[in-house]
Amino acid sequence: MKITGLRITTYEHLMSRRMGDANSPSGRDMASTCIVEITTDEDLEGVAIGGGGAIPQIKNMFDSLILGEDPRHVKGLWQRMIDRAFKSGNSGIITDAISVIDIALWDLKAKINQEPLWKTLGGGNIPVNSYASGMDMPQSNESVENWYKNMATKWGFKAGKLKVGLDQSADLERIGLMKSGLLHSTKNPILYIDANEYWSSKQAIRKVQEMEERFQIGWIEEPCRRGDYLGLKRVSDSIISPVCAGENLDSLDDFLSYFDHESVDVIQVSSGMSGITGAFQIADCAYGLELPVTLGGSVGNFHAQLAVCMPNFLTMEVQSVESADNVISTDVKIQNGQAVLGNQPGNGISINHDELKKISKSNPSTHRSLPSPFGRRPGAGLWEYLPTDDEKKAATRPLGTEIYVPPYGDV
Amino acid sequence: MKITGYRLEKYIYKIDRGVADANNPSGEELSMGSLLFLETDEGITGIAPASSEKVQDLFQVIEGQDPRSVVWLWKKMDDFVFKGGNQGEAAAAIAAIDVALWDLKSKINQEPLWQTLGARHGRTKAYASDIGYCMKDEDIYNFYSKMADKGVDAGKLKIGLSMDDDLRRIGIMKEALSKVRERPFLMLDVNEYWSPKNSIKLMNEIEKHYEIFWIEEPARRWDYRGLRKVSKSVKAAVATGENLNGITDVTSLITNYSVDIINIGVRQSGITGARQCANIAHAYKLPVTMMNCQANYMAHLAAAIPNHVMMEVFGTPDREHVFKSWDNEIQDGFIVMGDSYGLGLEIDYDALKNLQDTDYGRAPNSPWPRREGAGLEVKPLDEKEVDWI
Repeated sequence: MKITGLRITTYEHLMSRRMGDANSPSGRDMASTCIVEITTDEDLEGVAIGGGGAIPQIKNMFDSLILGEDPRHVKGLWQRMIDRAFKSGNSGIITDAISVIDIALWDLKAKINQEPLWKTLGGGNIPVNSYASGMDMPQSNESVENWYKNMATKWGFKAGKLKVGLDQSADLERIGLMKSGLLHSTKNPILYIDANEYWSSKQAIRKVQEMEERFQIGWIEEPCRRGDYLGLKRVSDSIISPVCAGENLDSLDDFLSYFDHESVDVIQVSSGMSGITGAFQIADCAYGLELPVTLGGSVGNFHAQLAVCMPNFLTMEVQSVESADNVISTDVKIQNGQAVLGNQPGNGISINHDELKKISKSNPSTHRSLPSPFGRRPGAGLWEYLPTDDEKKAATRPLGTEIYVPPYGDV
Repeated sequence: MKITGYRLEKYIYKIDRGVADANNPSGEELSMGSLLFLETDEGITGIAPASSEKVQDLFQVIEGQDPRSVVWLWKKMDDFVFKGGNQGEAAAAIAAIDVALWDLKSKINQEPLWQTLGARHGRTKAYASDIGYCMKDEDIYNFYSKMADKGVDAGKLKIGLSMDDDLRRIGIMKEALSKVRERPFLMLDVNEYWSPKNSIKLMNEIEKHYEIFWIEEPARRWDYRGLRKVSKSVKAAVATGENLNGITDVTSLITNYSVDIINIGVRQSGITGARQCANIAHAYKLPVTMMNCQANYMAHLAAAIPNHVMMEVFGTPDREHVFKSWDNEIQDGFIVMGDSYGLGLEIDYDALKNLQDTDYGRAPNSPWPRREGAGLEVKPLDEKEVDWI
């Protein structure tokens, strides 16, 4: 089988709820999606979602290294891409390009075998432990409680993750609200919190210790900067809860400083870290060091396909149970707070091309639809800059109305 | 597809040359062989050229399961032996089952295993390994010369008991390989016979004469401080790991900076376990080297490992008596695999039967005990042990 072509389609859509973290308390209501499809001479297509900011890099990698190759040789092709990136490094948008191509190749490999990806990877068909992740900094207290209540009663979630970091009093109250929402499905909900690198290490130690007086915390995610492996270690040494980090690292190379300095207790793994091939390298290394891994949020929750072949897999992030648009569907279902795998060949993602045609846009990447639309927020790593009145007001606006852009660097 | 049954076959075979190292310099020609067959409800059989009686305890874990879920089944077996540990006979059984499952998985896909594992080419760099401390000087030359004729530019010699003889024989290996490369890669293996200080002293002597690529097992397998000390005090890389059980053992050597090159093989808990070891080594920027095995079947995995440096080759056919064919050969210094499905091994059942019916009059002396003086002071070679002193 030979790879014959590449198709990249982008579009923008309104999200089901406003999402944000400590870096964007006013949140965002739009998402941009990039669909990468690799075609072959045998009528099979490999699909991956992502890489919207790396389209020239994807095209370049594809044309020079992937076109004409056999998709079953995915690891060898991964190595070709990594070696090509050698001098400028496997990081940033280059990693995005490698990741999305690798995911599409694994999808093809599974489709050639006429089996679901979890089986190609050697996994078993077992339910995948998951947690509900509200991305809820812009949400009101009432919405936070209701969202977790709904995730608990409708989908059976027994664990949740709250965005924290700007306002300690509000965070303490909202952790309690997440807990009361999740109490609808279990007596002992697991409460994760995520500061998205907003604190310094000493801030993190103070804040989390205070939270730990009132709650048992499942983990604190990114309590300080991703590169601050000494700070992360210091936080881990000083609090009871595990420190979870890694989501913004690009590859196994980046994780070495965490591993070698015992900086982190739970390793975040995703297919955005040099693809599925890269994700397994990181997970195996963590396994050797007796560290659990958690898989980050993914379109259609397809990371569940990877979870069942990682011996040290702990839990997977679910941001949305149902697709926000009519274009993408998944055969990974949520039941009893777990992701249940299907038998559709490949990674389980299906694209409705008729719907896609209607809404595709050639260049949708406005800042409004980026994951962290306003960059790092003032005060990060220094002091807690409370959400402003303008930000609070913007957070309550209905979806699809005028976007609020906070003044950059103007405290 | 479901796993329905298994079959174990054991046999004794006579190797074309004696196998020997510092712990048994006089060598042994007889060896125990075993095969594991995993049967399925669709008539496809998975084969592993390895086995253990312990398979009978573990079979319940995989019975009725889909062999394509091999990584998950590995985890189930690893959990099953939790209390006693994934070591010894249990480890041998898990490794054999894992290999047979991977063989099945790629046979189901109708592709060679290297492709199932995602490699782009079915090839990996080879190095020649005599494993023949008992071999005469001219046999050493002939062996490496024969391998050099196939483009192999790297060799590993068993040494450790006599410095003058070792130096001479390293030179013989070098001379034979020099027709491929002016400075061939020279590796040495003492099989845990030396103490760390002995290793430092003797390696420093050797390094006055030769550039050595790696010294293998210059201290005991778990002596992470000793191995680290050797690594800091010699120019050659320290290679070790062949006697460890898998990633759980390998990790402590890596995190203590005790090793420069990791030996991996089927002993590291099968293909799944060996791949885990390669991945943690990759994080620490360490190369791995695949151990020798019958018919070079582990080359399939080696081809799919980004940090694999070169694989040990004993030479075929020497130990391949029960195989009708194995789909690989040495070309230009690389093991090149073909497109046969799975591991590419075909069993010669008549030969197997013949071997099982053969009476050698004694059991193989394998594995052999540790030689006197190991880890203490080198006990000089005796003329009764080898005839090349």
